[in-house]
Amino acid sequence: MQDPFDLTAGWLQEHLLIPLLYETGLMNWEDVSYGWALFAVYGAVQVAVTFAVCLPLEHWRPVERWPDSKAVWVDALYTVLSRVGILPFVTYVLFYRIQVWANGTLADHGWVPPTLERMFPFLMGEQVLTFVVYAIILDFAEYWRHWLSHQFRWWWALHSLHHAQRQMTFWSDDRNHLLDDVIAFVWFGVIALLIGVPPLQFPLLVLVLRFLESLSHANVRLSFGWLGERLLISPRFHRAHHGILAAGQRSCNYGAVFPWWDMMFRTADFSRDYVQTGDPSGEEALATGTYVEQQWAGVRRFLRSFRRRPAARSGGVARSV
Amino acid sequence: MRRLTSLFLLLFMLGAAPRLAHAGGGIAFVINSAGASVSVVDMATKQEVRRIPVLREPHHLMLSPDGKSLLVGDTVGNEMLFLDPATGALQKRMPCADPYQLGFSPDGKFLVVNGLARNQVDVYDAATMTLVKRFPVSKTPSHLDFSPDSKRVFVSLQDTDRLIAFDLTNMTVLWDKPVGKTPAGVLWHDGTILVADMGTDHLAQVDPKDGRVIADIKTGRGAHNLFLSPDRKIIWVNNRAGGTTVSLDAKTLQPIRTYKIPGGPDDIAFAPDGKLWITRRWAEKVAVLDPATGEYATVNVGRSPHGIFLNPNAPSPTPVASR
Repeated sequence: MQDPFDLTAGWLQEHLLIPLLYETGLMNWEDVSYGWALFAVYGAVQVAVTFAVCLPLEHWRPVERWPDSKAVWVDALYTVLSRVGILPFVTYVLFYRIQVWANGTLADHGWVPPTLERMFPFLMGEQVLTFVVYAIILDFAEYWRHWLSHQFRWWWALHSLHHAQRQMTFWSDDRNHLLDDVIAFVWFGVIALLIGVPPLQFPLLVLVLRFLESLSHANVRLSFGWLGERLLISPRFHRAHHGILAAGQRSCNYGAVFPWWDMMFRTADFSRDYVQTGDPSGEEALATGTYVEQQWAGVRRFLRSFRRRPAARSGGVARSV
Repeated sequence: MRRLTSLFLLLFMLGAAPRLAHAGGGIAFVINSAGASVSVVDMATKQEVRRIPVLREPHHLMLSPDGKSLLVGDTVGNEMLFLDPATGALQKRMPCADPYQLGFSPDGKFLVVNGLARNQVDVYDAATMTLVKRFPVSKTPSHLDFSPDSKRVFVSLQDTDRLIAFDLTNMTVLWDKPVGKTPAGVLWHDGTILVADMGTDHLAQVDPKDGRVIADIKTGRGAHNLFLSPDRKIIWVNNRAGGTTVSLDAKTLQPIRTYKIPGGPDDIAFAPDGKLWITRRWAEKVAVLDPATGEYATVNVGRSPHGIFLNPNAPSPTPVASR
């Protein structure tokens, strides 16, 4: 069975990228361009699937209705850039090359970087099972990265762009400051180096995880039930993390896909229902500015974080909407 | 009960049929670079029967001089796998930094391994598999070939448009010269070296003494890789951007015929029946080209098929339930 995503990427490579690279004298990028094409196709499918599922959900049972959804379109731009443009490029051009070089260097010094399959040989060839194990480890690492981004003032200054959105929808998952993305990239890179993440081996499953992350941001009254919410993060659970009174250093529900880490480290709060989202402490440009205005406002807040004394920690009970 | 017996009989036949048929049909090993696996293909039926999982990203493979092992380089996994060329069974794994392209010297003394991502060319003692010499190079050592006397090895440096020559007797660099845009495939032929310049539409013919380009031989857009036929009469060139395979007269280096092979034609292996097995990098397929008719059959394999090796003398591979 031929993989239609791969064949689409192959078509792009053959009919668009290779002619372009050949004409511009950049044929040395031909392997990288194929990797990018694969990621971009899977990214585009991610966006399409998320759109097809989440949009009807948001129309069906929205938490909020807004007269003007201009701010949402900026989030859509973030998503497209992140999943079809920047992320595949960074993953393939930077992450891949650095990983190969670093792993090779370590191997060269007699230390073969570990991989899960080497540690647990029964995983070799068991792609679904291997992926699940990788997904759990990465989600655990993501929990701590996210938690830390709320603890340091400078980091929160960057991450607050993600929280500034008052019109949170499924598009908001990729709404991040570029510097915050860089940190996440380095974080992911280090973890990947330690456990040997092979990104191209299971892109379809990555697609599913990214879909769940987008869904958790959706503007929909959707709970997975008592048990379901303890297995997978629901829109209701994650919305509590984006609540206006949860913004900042005393937040809850940091998990990305699995709520287990929040439960384990006592940061889970299952009690909050569909709170208002946003970060009142940030300047307006972070919430309603254009892409560039948001990024620039993030830089300003980041620089200010080194000058000012920490603001009083936010806390209390979020108001339901 | 009769139904149950019939079902068992049917299952037995289904399970046994592939094992009984095509005895001695031969095995094709196809590396799926972006699929972290090696496809095992029954040459007789042209069907993939199973996949051998590897760690990360294999690219090329080479038969050991004694014919007992098929070496598969896993670049991102940083290991060399040794497979039984008759069955595909894993013999052993060896840590190895970034093994991209690999080749044994004709006398079987050295194994040369190009580290494409780490910009290094490693020379191993083939008998002991110990590293004899590492040559740091300018950038992206891609393909390689040896002089027939095994004294020199020539490596294309893809990103710096150069070809580098190493002396394997004294373990020194002989020369390092520009040979054209994005050089990839390298072939020693008739006292000269042919280099496929992927950024152009031609091969560069290079003097092995000093690296000087003697002539350009036009083949097609994105000339990527080249192979000498077993009877040494034809040089086959795959053109990456043009999506063509071109046959050249090995004596005159004049083109004979152009075949349209879409999907990024890359490596070639020659079957005893005269057909060419060509990996198509972006199509998840291998083309089995009949040069006489110009038609090709298709073998479905995994993602980004790259290196290919045929063992026509092996028994047909055994299918297994899981891939």
